[in-house]
Amino acid sequence: MRLQSKLTLFSAASKAVVLLLLVLVIPPLVHRVALHNTDDRLIQKREQVLRIIEEQGIESFISEEDNGAYGSYNLLKEEFISLEQIPEAVAVDTIENSLRKVEGEVVEYRVLSLTFEVEGNFYLMEIGRSLATIGENTDTLQQYALYFLVAVVLITVFIDLTFSKILLRPLMLIIRRLQRIGHPGAFKPQQLQTTTSDFLYLNNTINNMMGQIQAAFLKEKEFIGNVSHELLTPISILQTRLENLLTDPELPEHILIKMVENQKTLHRMKSIIQTLLLISRIENEQYLKNESVDLKILADEVAEEIAERAEVKQVGLEVNISEDWILPQANYTLLFTMLFNVVNNAIKYNKPDGKVTIEGHVNGKGYALKVKDTGIGIDAEQIPNLFNRFKRLHAPDGESHGLGLSIVQTVAQFHRIKLKVLSTPGEGTTFTFLFPKAEAVIAS
Amino acid sequence: MHVLVVEDEASLATELMHFLKQERYRCDWAPNGQDASEKIAVNLYDFILLDLGLPDYNGLDLLQEAKQLDHEPAIIILTARGSLEDRVQGLDLGADDYLPKPFSLLELQARMQAVLRRKFKVKSSVLAFHGFELDSADRRLSYQGQEITLTKKEYDLLHYLLLHKNRILTRLQLTEHIWGNILEDDYDSNYIDVHIKNLRKKLSAHSTIEWLETVRGVGYRLTV
Repeated sequence: MRLQSKLTLFSAASKAVVLLLLVLVIPPLVHRVALHNTDDRLIQKREQVLRIIEEQGIESFISEEDNGAYGSYNLLKEEFISLEQIPEAVAVDTIENSLRKVEGEVVEYRVLSLTFEVEGNFYLMEIGRSLATIGENTDTLQQYALYFLVAVVLITVFIDLTFSKILLRPLMLIIRRLQRIGHPGAFKPQQLQTTTSDFLYLNNTINNMMGQIQAAFLKEKEFIGNVSHELLTPISILQTRLENLLTDPELPEHILIKMVENQKTLHRMKSIIQTLLLISRIENEQYLKNESVDLKILADEVAEEIAERAEVKQVGLEVNISEDWILPQANYTLLFTMLFNVVNNAIKYNKPDGKVTIEGHVNGKGYALKVKDTGIGIDAEQIPNLFNRFKRLHAPDGESHGLGLSIVQTVAQFHRIKLKVLSTPGEGTTFTFLFPKAEAVIAS
Repeated sequence: MHVLVVEDEASLATELMHFLKQERYRCDWAPNGQDASEKIAVNLYDFILLDLGLPDYNGLDLLQEAKQLDHEPAIIILTARGSLEDRVQGLDLGADDYLPKPFSLLELQARMQAVLRRKFKVKSSVLAFHGFELDSADRRLSYQGQEITLTKKEYDLLHYLLLHKNRILTRLQLTEHIWGNILEDDYDSNYIDVHIKNLRKKLSAHSTIEWLETVRGVGYRLTV
């Protein structure tokens, strides 16, 4: 997941959690505050009532004909005050919720109860306030708080998103530049316009490291190219000298056979050097991609060239290309060498009466060319080493120099072809060339 | 045939000339461009074998000098540079063929013969041997007028053996001739043996072929 998405998600999630907490916590909180306010008011009223009683005397509320009780409601039954004479001295001073029936209607009140003594008589005073009033206030408050919070969360998430986008822009730029290059050789160092020192450091470090990698690559390529080239002349001399010696009729047979062995060894050396030189030349872009190559024709010609080898090994060779594909800009000779080497391996490491099939079909926007064999297969742990130079899987002491697949890989890279190897030991190997979509054709 | 070998490597020039003399060419050696330039101005060469990497001269300049001569010698470029550009440039400037180093002397001779055939418009392209006739223009083989169908590889093998008749060709030399333009992982002489076996089968249906000899442990020889 991208950093920016993570940051945005995190900011949204944390705010959502805070919002949830507030939504859960606010109702009881508001309720408690409201109760507290109500209680305060009840206590205030108690003081007022007590003061009035003191000033006017209890008689103005309770006389003999009133059965010793006084009650007063306001019009909407939101509040009441009652005074009542009680026979015994019971000390009560509480505030609590209780249900009262008022004119046939049950209403829940917050009720303050207090007993007091006036002139030897005991009285109970109750002051009540309807809880429905409190509830209404709480609901309204809660609703507005919720709207406000949601708005705050949305606004801050949006601000976070925008800000992190601006802040991370240099990082995105670095990533886009890195995505564009397939090989360190294609990297061009670029400056970054930002005030964030971390990104500047990152960019400079990447530029620096890539520069070092490029220099090392270049040196290696130059070295291989130069060495190979310099070795070609002495090899030429040795080869021609051996050829001249071989024609000497005086040469005894046992020496002649040794000469032939020498020739083979020299050939192996020559082949290694020529291969390294070929790889180095491809990497140095000394080959042109100026031919249009029809993959069906290519496969047919490779098959024709190699058919007799398949016959010798008693391996069936079949070209089965259902859909054709044309590479507008390619190098036929190099592609031929590439496919030839893979098909040759498929034949060489096959079993008698085995089979090699060259298949091709459109694959998404690109094309897949497959070389399938029923050969001895490759162990899974060997596959990653398959393209390493001088890696020989099957014939450590044979004539193979282990550069065949290096050629294949280099030519593939040169043409932006992806390679995929699937193998089951004992059953066979499928070697797939994945050709990219042909931009030039689509453009035209 | 008079050949000028322009090659700064003395050992290589020695081997080249040894071979060419055996093949009855007359040879001169020029170790540098200056010397070569003087020699081609004075002598009438039929062939110039030209190394492009000379110490004092750009080989391509020498090529242009040689092309201005009236008698137009055939020119084969021999070079270790072997880049595509060199090859294209060399052929554009009028070289008749181009052989990258290291090359086989047998290959060189085959190329020289092909160049001569083109250059001097040799009309007859038919090689006759033991009652067989090989037409190199049409790539056809026949026995007393009766055509024998050969595969491409069988034809190439027979032609090469015939071109270098009476000489032992090692399996490697034959392999290089047939598969040499493809760089591959290894060398397997087995394939040559099978091709020769098939070739023998086709030829022996018409005549005895004791003249296509196997040299044990070495290779093959076609004697005429």
